[in-house]
Amino acid sequence: MLKFHWRLLQGGETGSASRAAMALRPETARPDIAAQLAFCRLAEDLGFTGLLVDIGAAKPDPIVLASALGLGSRTIEFIIACRSGLQSPAVFAQQINTLSALSDGRVSLNVVAGHSPAEQRFYGDFLDHEERYARTAEFLAICEAFWRHDKPVNYRGRYYAVENGELGSTFVSQRRHRPELLIAGGSAPARELAIAHGDCWMRLPEPPAALEAASRPVLAAGKTVGLRHAIIGARTRAEALEIAYGLREGADRTTPDRQLEGNFIARSDSTSFKAMYQVAETTEWLTPVLWTGLVQSHGAPAIALVGSADEIAAALIDFKHAGTSQFILSGWPKAQSMQFFGEEVLPRVRRLEQRLAVA
Amino acid sequence: MSLSSGRSAHELTRLRFHWSMSAAGDPSRATKARAEVSGIPDLKAHIEFCRTAEQAGLEYLLTAFGSHRPDAVVLAAALGMVSDRIKFLVAVRSGLCSPTAFVQQINTVSVLTGGRVGLNFVNGHSEREQRYYGDFLDHDQRYVRSNEFLDVCRALWAGRGPVSHAGRHFRVEGAVLNTPFRSPERSAPELYIGGASPQAVRQACRHNACLLTTPAPAEQLMARLAPLRAHGGRAGLIVGLIARQTREAALAAADALLQRTNTAARAVHRSFRAQSSSTAFAMTFDRALETEWLSPTLWTGAVPFLGPSATALLGSYDEIADTLMEYGRQGIREFLFLGWPDLDEMQRFGGELAPRVREREMELC
Repeated sequence: MLKFHWRLLQGGETGSASRAAMALRPETARPDIAAQLAFCRLAEDLGFTGLLVDIGAAKPDPIVLASALGLGSRTIEFIIACRSGLQSPAVFAQQINTLSALSDGRVSLNVVAGHSPAEQRFYGDFLDHEERYARTAEFLAICEAFWRHDKPVNYRGRYYAVENGELGSTFVSQRRHRPELLIAGGSAPARELAIAHGDCWMRLPEPPAALEAASRPVLAAGKTVGLRHAIIGARTRAEALEIAYGLREGADRTTPDRQLEGNFIARSDSTSFKAMYQVAETTEWLTPVLWTGLVQSHGAPAIALVGSADEIAAALIDFKHAGTSQFILSGWPKAQSMQFFGEEVLPRVRRLEQRLAVA
Repeated sequence: MSLSSGRSAHELTRLRFHWSMSAAGDPSRATKARAEVSGIPDLKAHIEFCRTAEQAGLEYLLTAFGSHRPDAVVLAAALGMVSDRIKFLVAVRSGLCSPTAFVQQINTVSVLTGGRVGLNFVNGHSEREQRYYGDFLDHDQRYVRSNEFLDVCRALWAGRGPVSHAGRHFRVEGAVLNTPFRSPERSAPELYIGGASPQAVRQACRHNACLLTTPAPAEQLMARLAPLRAHGGRAGLIVGLIARQTREAALAAADALLQRTNTAARAVHRSFRAQSSSTAFAMTFDRALETEWLSPTLWTGAVPFLGPSATALLGSYDEIADTLMEYGRQGIREFLFLGWPDLDEMQRFGGELAPRVREREMELC
């Protein structure tokens, strides 16, 4: 069965605000625990597996936020976005272990490289894109050694050294000895990292044939592939298009979203975000349902499946045929779009999957 | 013998009381080797600990740092959700985390808990353990680094625009965090420095922090605190508590405690002493082998069995209340207690000892 996650609601989040506009709002940086817990429960009731908890200087710390949300929720997993270079690997593993114990193992990791060199420097990280991936590989190797209970953990690499390391805690889960590792990024180093240290390569979508080709080495290595994108759905295709175009017009009218996103991309060193921005320049529809219309205002992960519930469900199954097994999704407004997906799209996906299984 | 001369307004403020949460769920505190201690938090026991502390009128609970423990920041964030008033004193070692990432975590805890978080900076007391975390510096170098760490953190909390810093141990450029430190009273967390070395004392002065130190004979303690006194700084004691209705009952409780601990515990602490680079721990441990009483109410008899943090205020409620008031007059105005077991001692503190202290404070006014 395909696994579906949504992005966690942020503090003060409403309507169709773009990623760049949200980053400027002070509310985004402040957890709104009542609203976010209600969102967790809604995601649980609708049958989602996890919620992505973002990382960034404009946001609360994701590990701390998930620690608070874990106590008030029951089944939802927290997909913690993490960057290497902020903490000692032992401290990170210890924090994730503690969180796992407090949430019955409802923790997985979305490992990101960081996409803004300027922001990395806030944290004392002056490495370039390729080196950040090399450091992340060391970081994950050490965390894995702690999770595997090497006694003791010894490591001497280019970026980290550990001598006779031991932790009194373990990753507490019925199913796993460590959190599931989603490795995010479309670049070659990201894919290699997923193959070497990850469980799942998380990336932005492209048409199924191209996706299948890019995924082949990952699947051949026994790892899985996941996609991150948006959903703009409605009862009919016409209504969905109306919503999509409305979002695009709203973006142009109410806030300088395009300008903010353009500035962000100009300074970013993310391979896949820059590539997606370029694609959106020339191609509005990558397939009849895969739309780039919001990418230049709402960011690369705003590439969206647009259509009726049937069309979206069919497109997701096409991605499944191309080798994809999980999705981190979002939409506008976040809660309503999640509800639409859970009530209208998810049952259709399950029916299609059942039919496939029987066939 | 007073940190600040004369009866200042500072002296008239109430004594402040905190407790160590490091043995939540473990009534036999500190008798096991570290390898046998589980770093997996017992949530139910921790929640009970928080509730009892709130009922006893305590202010901070110390969430300690150590490789054999749960993570202090995560624990504070989670327990903040299931408590109402108690604050969390999160133990911090520098060198394990980017200062920016650290401030972001602490600020997030503050927003989640209504500002119920303070920080206890510690230097780390085992070089062996520091290396688990990739830290290969010695005791004195670690103080240099933690001063720099605190400089960056405090600049971020000061909120005067982007923070840049290029030092020996840390370099950040144009750092801006959108998550603020949120508290009804403060724009930055209250800072404590744990330790007894001259470096710890200087660090408390430099960062306007409260020195949270270990007990010692009166003259030694005053000599240790002299630089703080010159600076008008704050001081507190980390000390065990064995208080009962009468002195005889307290002595009997101490005897019972010694009988409960076993010889294995003695070996555990002797081996820890041998590899520790902490000045405070080493001094306390060695002294306890020489004498059992540092004053009529300050007892070190359990230190060989339970470790250096087992130096205890021991006596009747009235004796201890008088002792605490006397410390207060000397400028030591905060106390972080430990008990054996904690929950019982905490209840006695709230029901018997705290009211006696508050009465005495009222009389002074």
